[in-house]
Amino acid sequence: MSDLDRAIAQLRSCRPIPEAQVRELCHKARELLIEEGNVVTVTAPVTICGDIHGQFHDLMELFRVGGDVPDTNYLFMGDFVDRGFYSLESFLLLLCLKVRYPDRMTLIRGNHESRQITTVYGFYDECLRKYGSANVWRYCCEVFDYLALGAIVLGASNTLEPSPEALAHSQSLGPTQGLTESDIEIEVLNADGVYINSFARKTQPSSAESSPAQSRTGAPGSGASGWSTGTPGNTSGAVLCVHGGLSPLIDTVDKIRILDRKQEVPHEGAMCDLLWSDPDEIDGWGLSPRGAGFLFGADIVRVFNHANDLSLIARAHQLVMEGFKEMFDSTIVTVWSAPNYCYRCGNVAAILELGEDGSGDGVIARSNGDVTRSDGGVMREKERLLLPGPARRYRVFQAAPQDSRGMPAKKPVIEYFL
Amino acid sequence: MSDLQKAFAKSKLGGYPVNPPVPFNEVEEEEEEIEALGDLPVDDDSSSASSASSASSTGTIIPSSNHNLFARPQGSPNRRTLDQIPWTTYFERELFLKSTKDAGTITYHAYLTSPVGTGPLFVTHHGAGSSGLSFAVVASEIRKKLPSAGILSLDARGHGSTKITPVPEKLDLSLERLSEDLVSVIDNTKTQMDWKEMPPLVLIGHSLGGAVVTDVAKSGRLGNAVLGYAVLDVVEGSAIDALQSMHTYLSTRPPGFTSLQSGIEWHVRSRTIRNSVSARTSVPSLLTHNAESKGSGAWTWRTNLAATQPFWEGWFVGLSNKFLSARGGKLLLLAGTDRLDKELTIGQMQGKYALQVFPEAGHFIHEDLPEKTAMVIVDFYRRNDRSTLVLPPKVSDLLRAGKKV
Repeated sequence: MSDLDRAIAQLRSCRPIPEAQVRELCHKARELLIEEGNVVTVTAPVTICGDIHGQFHDLMELFRVGGDVPDTNYLFMGDFVDRGFYSLESFLLLLCLKVRYPDRMTLIRGNHESRQITTVYGFYDECLRKYGSANVWRYCCEVFDYLALGAIVLGASNTLEPSPEALAHSQSLGPTQGLTESDIEIEVLNADGVYINSFARKTQPSSAESSPAQSRTGAPGSGASGWSTGTPGNTSGAVLCVHGGLSPLIDTVDKIRILDRKQEVPHEGAMCDLLWSDPDEIDGWGLSPRGAGFLFGADIVRVFNHANDLSLIARAHQLVMEGFKEMFDSTIVTVWSAPNYCYRCGNVAAILELGEDGSGDGVIARSNGDVTRSDGGVMREKERLLLPGPARRYRVFQAAPQDSRGMPAKKPVIEYFL
Repeated sequence: MSDLQKAFAKSKLGGYPVNPPVPFNEVEEEEEEIEALGDLPVDDDSSSASSASSASSTGTIIPSSNHNLFARPQGSPNRRTLDQIPWTTYFERELFLKSTKDAGTITYHAYLTSPVGTGPLFVTHHGAGSSGLSFAVVASEIRKKLPSAGILSLDARGHGSTKITPVPEKLDLSLERLSEDLVSVIDNTKTQMDWKEMPPLVLIGHSLGGAVVTDVAKSGRLGNAVLGYAVLDVVEGSAIDALQSMHTYLSTRPPGFTSLQSGIEWHVRSRTIRNSVSARTSVPSLLTHNAESKGSGAWTWRTNLAATQPFWEGWFVGLSNKFLSARGGKLLLLAGTDRLDKELTIGQMQGKYALQVFPEAGHFIHEDLPEKTAMVIVDFYRRNDRSTLVLPPKVSDLLRAGKKV
């Protein structure tokens, strides 16, 4: 058993590892992360998770529900620390797993992965309490600066494979009753993999027109039309994952790629917006009540997705009582993975599974955020077709039962409060 | 310090006026003095312990009386003074606004610095047992950062110099009444000052005052003039939890003081107000002088807080909901994150308002950390200022200008 495996085992039992080991871990993690671009490319299948906020026992529940690493490929969209009582163990475990299985674990930065925020919302105090010095906090903050700002998921299938649980049980179970598999766009399962709900894919009026276009597609050199909307098995667009949302300074994914990310999260600008913004039912851009980032409306998302060949933006950052929330005709989804947030909010959590596209010819969707490249130089202006979203399976779970022993007793504050 | 060093120091310092060495009694006080504002009575360690210790540790003698030369001649040079600072240091004028309603006449007392041009008016409402001067220091800090800003800080009924005639048997401190008072003070001020239209308003309330400004914002009685509202250190859930222990707290307060100075000293020592400049400004207005009684009965509290108990719950029930649903920018300033209740925790994580936490401050955030509080408030105003709402630049324009995006 290597040191790293030992550290993983120790962290899994919610015990912090020694300071020297943290230092080494952070060093290795930095070496790994520095090689990653601002936007990491991830290929499906992948399980996308939202905020964790130091709720270690709920993170364990998440792994139980979503499958363990490295069996499941995970993408965490930031906010690992603060607020919960085990920020340290949660973040270090994720970091260990990242170092141990770099290809099965993607971590991107949230607005709480910052020095300024962690000093106020708990992570700094926790490090001080558990190690007696701020060194570990400092090592972690250095890692924060290297975390990627976003990820692009490619090759997600737009049909749902039956979930392993459904296969294990009899096929007559609820999920696919009355619908063929390819009809289901969204499926919701509970923590034990039991079917809760599903939604059929809406047939878009444009899909009929776009199908001849697909049939025109031939293999290169076959004399078929020079432009292509991709192989028939690969019609779904890419999924952009980012902690907060869009920025008025960012109109293509490539603009994210050229940011200088290795710094503390700034108070304004593109990098700040990616980590702070929220979608809202407005037109265009608006002022964010948070005091950082912006609000953006459905039109902004539609234009951005179209210009970047995206079918979906997955983000976290906002508490959703139901665990996940799709907005604007399913062009953007919020995934929240901290059940009973702050041990008081009474919400459930969710993770989002995107399946692998098995029907393609081994060609990964070419969408890379660059319009001209993906279209062979021809704009698809005429059609204005919205790429069909990948099939999405949400697993919803509740807070893990935990004894209150581990929680630091709250001091009863007798405060002057009038 | 060796004799040699002493002699050297003496010769070196000979030319400067020598301050009498101040007895060095408490470490805690020392810290507070450092926290105090830089430009007010200057921390002057000169001839006492610190220069001596620096001399012995480094062998360098710093004639530290020097920096006194650059200090502003405000207040007394004696750093340990606990003298009162008058309100005229902070505000342009005081207003007595008469209003006749129901049974009697109430004369609202308020401090005002008028806004300049199209500048905003920050309207502040203090907490229970406090007074309009609670916001004096933060007001001057706001003006430093935003010179066009006006500040209107009222004394609520039963507090400060606001008077009701005839004196009612029972003081009505219900939330509805206090909200009416706030609106009528703002309207009366506008009339008295001959403002053609209401300047853009930012409502700021501390504690009970937070509940009042939220109530006013929610009611929409001030219309479109309100840009936003800021609430300082009050959250429905934790306030209601704390109410049970309030009587215990109140009973630990001394019933009176022998002098104003001792009242100020108590506030500073008990860390109720952790900034002596603020305490020297605001405490005098909390106490009233009884000429006939001697000893600790000479200065007693103006407001009998225990008697206001019947109103306590009414102040805070429904506060979180109102705070989240009222129109306008929302800012919550807290002294500790754990004070958020469920509703506000959810609201914060859904991005419905701005939250700022100053863990190093006590309940009187704006008095403990006037500079930081002013900075946050001014930033809050700038973000919500409608007159200069600037949309983010277009990417193509930025690129054309050769900027990196």
